[in-house]
Amino acid sequence: MDKITVKICSGTSCFVMGAAQIQALEFTPPADIADKIDIIEVRCMNLCKDTHAKYNRGPFVTVDNELIEEATYEKVVTKIRDVLKNKECQ
Amino acid sequence: MNESLFIEIGTFQQQKYGEDCFGDTVFSKKIPEEQRIISILSDGLGSGVKANILSSMTTRMAMKFVESNMELLRSSEVMMDALPICQVRKISYATFSIVDSELGGKTRIIEMDNPPHMFIRDGKPLTVKCRELSSPKWKDRTISISQVTTQPEDRIIMVSDGVTQAGLGNKLYPLGWGRQGCLDFALKQIRKNPYISASELAGAIVREAIEKEVEKKAGDDISCVVLYFRKPRKLLVLTGPPFDEDKDREFAELVSSYDGKTAICGGTTANIVERELCLKCEIDKTSFDEKIPMASVMEGVDLVTEGILTLTEVYRMLKEGIDRNKNNAAVRLTRLLLDSDKIDFVVGTKINIAHQDPNLPMELEIRRNIVKKIFRLLQSQYLKEISVRYM
Repeated sequence: MDKITVKICSGTSCFVMGAAQIQALEFTPPADIADKIDIIEVRCMNLCKDTHAKYNRGPFVTVDNELIEEATYEKVVTKIRDVLKNKECQ
Repeated sequence: MNESLFIEIGTFQQQKYGEDCFGDTVFSKKIPEEQRIISILSDGLGSGVKANILSSMTTRMAMKFVESNMELLRSSEVMMDALPICQVRKISYATFSIVDSELGGKTRIIEMDNPPHMFIRDGKPLTVKCRELSSPKWKDRTISISQVTTQPEDRIIMVSDGVTQAGLGNKLYPLGWGRQGCLDFALKQIRKNPYISASELAGAIVREAIEKEVEKKAGDDISCVVLYFRKPRKLLVLTGPPFDEDKDREFAELVSSYDGKTAICGGTTANIVERELCLKCEIDKTSFDEKIPMASVMEGVDLVTEGILTLTEVYRMLKEGIDRNKNNAAVRLTRLLLDSDKIDFVVGTKINIAHQDPNLPMELEIRRNIVKKIFRLLQSQYLKEISVRYM
């Protein structure tokens, strides 16, 4: 099975809003998903500037091209597990 | 070419064991209009606060006199008259070594009662001819004046007697480490690393002197100043996207046409350069740090980092000292700045709307402000030559 690509924006505003904590996925991922993900840090996805919401909705993370706004470590891990489950069902 | 000569001044000091403050004072000043640098080391009588006051007074007075090209003998008489007389020793006393150098290469070394300077050229010591003067008023004090035209890769080392007398009373060094011992050590360091920076060399000499001391406790104030004459090491720092997108190309091409090292600070800035110059840029995971976003590697660029957070951390380290045991992007950038002599900042002034979100920490400064703080510090404290261009 192909690995899931997780892109974490590490631009300034995403970083201070919590992307730093999400980067822990790279070094200490939960055991069940550890070998099933590829982590890619992106310098700035430029999404903070494109947002139509009043406030910016970072940190931004994509899991296999699916965007997560206001991402947290838990949100991202849950999303990864969901995607994995879907893939297994197919 | 002599016109492009740059002087790096490195200083390292250790106060006498048990004292709170330095008895020696080092004071350096750059006079940009005259393309001139003056550096003064003075050793105050005794140690601690009293010595500190005496040596500070001496350096300040000497700086004023040298700066205004006053006649030397007269200047030193005034200084001796002005210094308070020590109650214990009944003399007014402080020593000095002064290097007064024009960037064209003309250099004067003026010394009184400090260990004689060491001049190193091509990895060998060079004896500079000197003449001696003494004032009729203070016959036992002589001033020696040496003149030399400096060349790239020359070094001048000034030390206080704490260095030459290090180890005094120690079995291995009954008469102290001596000027020769110190000179041999410096030559060895330069052989090992021909481009050793002035601050590294000054640090190594002082640390070695302390090694020689009984119980490794400084028996006197130990100070070393190294002046390193060299061709300037240039660095270009690009930070922030240009205000006008039409300038992106011109902005990026500054990197490819620069004749020195280059650094890019800012995710979007890096994206612009990557896009315009078709360069590959990848995150460098060895720079991981919880507080500072990781650095990236881009072909032809020496360092790529995030913007504001990294710059803010760089500013803190320039003020408080570099974190030696870290290797994050900010530490790398600080090292790069400190290793360079002439730094050209190009600051893109486009404001990142997302950074104005009130939910973000207040420390998130506007780029222009933090860059201004950094270059002022680099100018005043580290005597770097700075240019700034806004785009």
